Amino acid sequence: MLPLKINNVTKIFKNPKGQEFKAVDGVSLDIEPGKIYGLLGPNGAGKSTLINMIGGLLLPNQGSIELFGLDVAKESSKTKQLIGVVPQEIVMEMAFTVEEVLYYFSGMYGVPRSERKARIKAVLEDLGLEDKTHERARNLSGGMKRRLMVAKAILHRPKLVILDEPTAGVDVSLRQKIWSLVQRLNAEGTTILFTTHYLEEAEQLCESIALINHGKLIKSGRLKDIQQEFSKNTIHFELFDRTAAPLAGVSEVGVEYEYPITADLATDMAKLTSHYNHNLKSIRSEAASLEHIFLKLTNH
Amino acid sequence: MQTNMWALYAREVKRFQKIWIDTVFNPIVSIGLYLGVFGIVTSGREIGSLPYLTFVYTGLLAMLIVNTSFSNPSFALVIARNLGNMIDIQLAPIPAWRIGVAYAFAALTRGVTTVLIAVVGTVWFIPAMGIPAHPLALVAALFLTGLEFGMLGVAFGFLAKNFEALTFMNTFVMQPMIFLAGVFYPVATLPAPWNTVSLFNPIHHNVNFFRYAITGYSDVNPLFSFLVILGLSAVLFAVMQWTVVRNIKMK
Repeated sequence: MLPLKINNVTKIFKNPKGQEFKAVDGVSLDIEPGKIYGLLGPNGAGKSTLINMIGGLLLPNQGSIELFGLDVAKESSKTKQLIGVVPQEIVMEMAFTVEEVLYYFSGMYGVPRSERKARIKAVLEDLGLEDKTHERARNLSGGMKRRLMVAKAILHRPKLVILDEPTAGVDVSLRQKIWSLVQRLNAEGTTILFTTHYLEEAEQLCESIALINHGKLIKSGRLKDIQQEFSKNTIHFELFDRTAAPLAGVSEVGVEYEYPITADLATDMAKLTSHYNHNLKSIRSEAASLEHIFLKLTNH
Repeated sequence: MQTNMWALYAREVKRFQKIWIDTVFNPIVSIGLYLGVFGIVTSGREIGSLPYLTFVYTGLLAMLIVNTSFSNPSFALVIARNLGNMIDIQLAPIPAWRIGVAYAFAALTRGVTTVLIAVVGTVWFIPAMGIPAHPLALVAALFLTGLEFGMLGVAFGFLAKNFEALTFMNTFVMQPMIFLAGVFYPVATLPAPWNTVSLFNPIHHNVNFFRYAITGYSDVNPLFSFLVILGLSAVLFAVMQWTVVRNIKMK
């Protein structure tokens, strides 16, 4: 049974003038168990709207979402129990201590009182927050609050954890800690879905990705397969002088240029080297970066 | 059983305990000040055979439970909406009807706690106060009044979009209704048609039934007041559930 199955989902919002806006447009996606899945896209692409529909906060205008075979729209109380969501914004009872925040929130997910304290202790140790157990939430640093948000989402031991931009605005050290936590959860059998606009983050963590832009799914699948698809038959290079006359067939992709292999790799590399000569800063035919793929798919 | 609902209830009780000076003692100090002023000004006056201070005291206790029960969920929910904490409730697997019940019972708990502390702290200064005249009626009055205004607070907490709306409700609806409910005077002494109009003020029946339970004095038939409270509680339960479902359900 798939942890998450999204079938042709569309979400339309109306602005105050009554004009309609499609935040998510006909997205279909299957997420297999035990994977780390990245939902990627620029700000405003529709990622959070999709997450909110999966979390049971928003109702799709069209299509359906199934979590472990249960329809989110029809059985939201059951589906909410199966997932843990880390929202983008840091929200918690700031007057409560860390332990109190987790004690009551896990209770709201049905964790029995007799088990709560032991679970809280274990999770806080995992997240390096054990010495903050009795600290008021409002006194924690931004990074600690972010970790506390993760703790809230995993205490009831969900089968699928959804993290909405978990590393937005956090420093490198904390980002590494969140990455290692995500990997550890995944190693324990939890399926992970996270959204990010840091493409290098997805490259580090994800086996599979979905690229979303303007509410539409523009690519999904195994990261390696996508990289292979976009790197085959092309040579990527960078120039010192970007005003140099281009060779026919060369296209600009972000800071790089791309050239399709028409004959064979050696011949075409020689052709490029001969044309650009010492203006070539770098040249390669390795797997395309996610950034390159994203820019290409979004026609930047 | 229903762990998630009771956890939400316990969280809301914990919230008012955290700020007990504001939530519990602040209203009690207000009552103490009212009693001080009325004690000096009205010394020796009686309403029927009831000392005026006892009459006012029982009205103030009813006012206390009405105010605190209404404030607890309404402020908690408006603050949650403004801080973005509402998502905690929306994400949790708690059916909407249980959310309303949890908030309403937390309101009842705060209302009853505040009244009991107020009684312990002030009853010694009130003349002719002994064992309540109708103990069972007093339990029903505490329970129903706390729950009734807790449910109203939940409904309004979900409906109010900001603090301005909440302040408006408190200043222009709740407070006039409380002050015109017979807390400080018997409504029967009002000239017509205001004595009749007062009967349509639902809070009058809470005050009246509460006073009857403690002292045996009643402006109108206490059974009528009890039935009004019971009927209004049923209506408010339906209104509360409608607002909770409307605000929690997926849109």
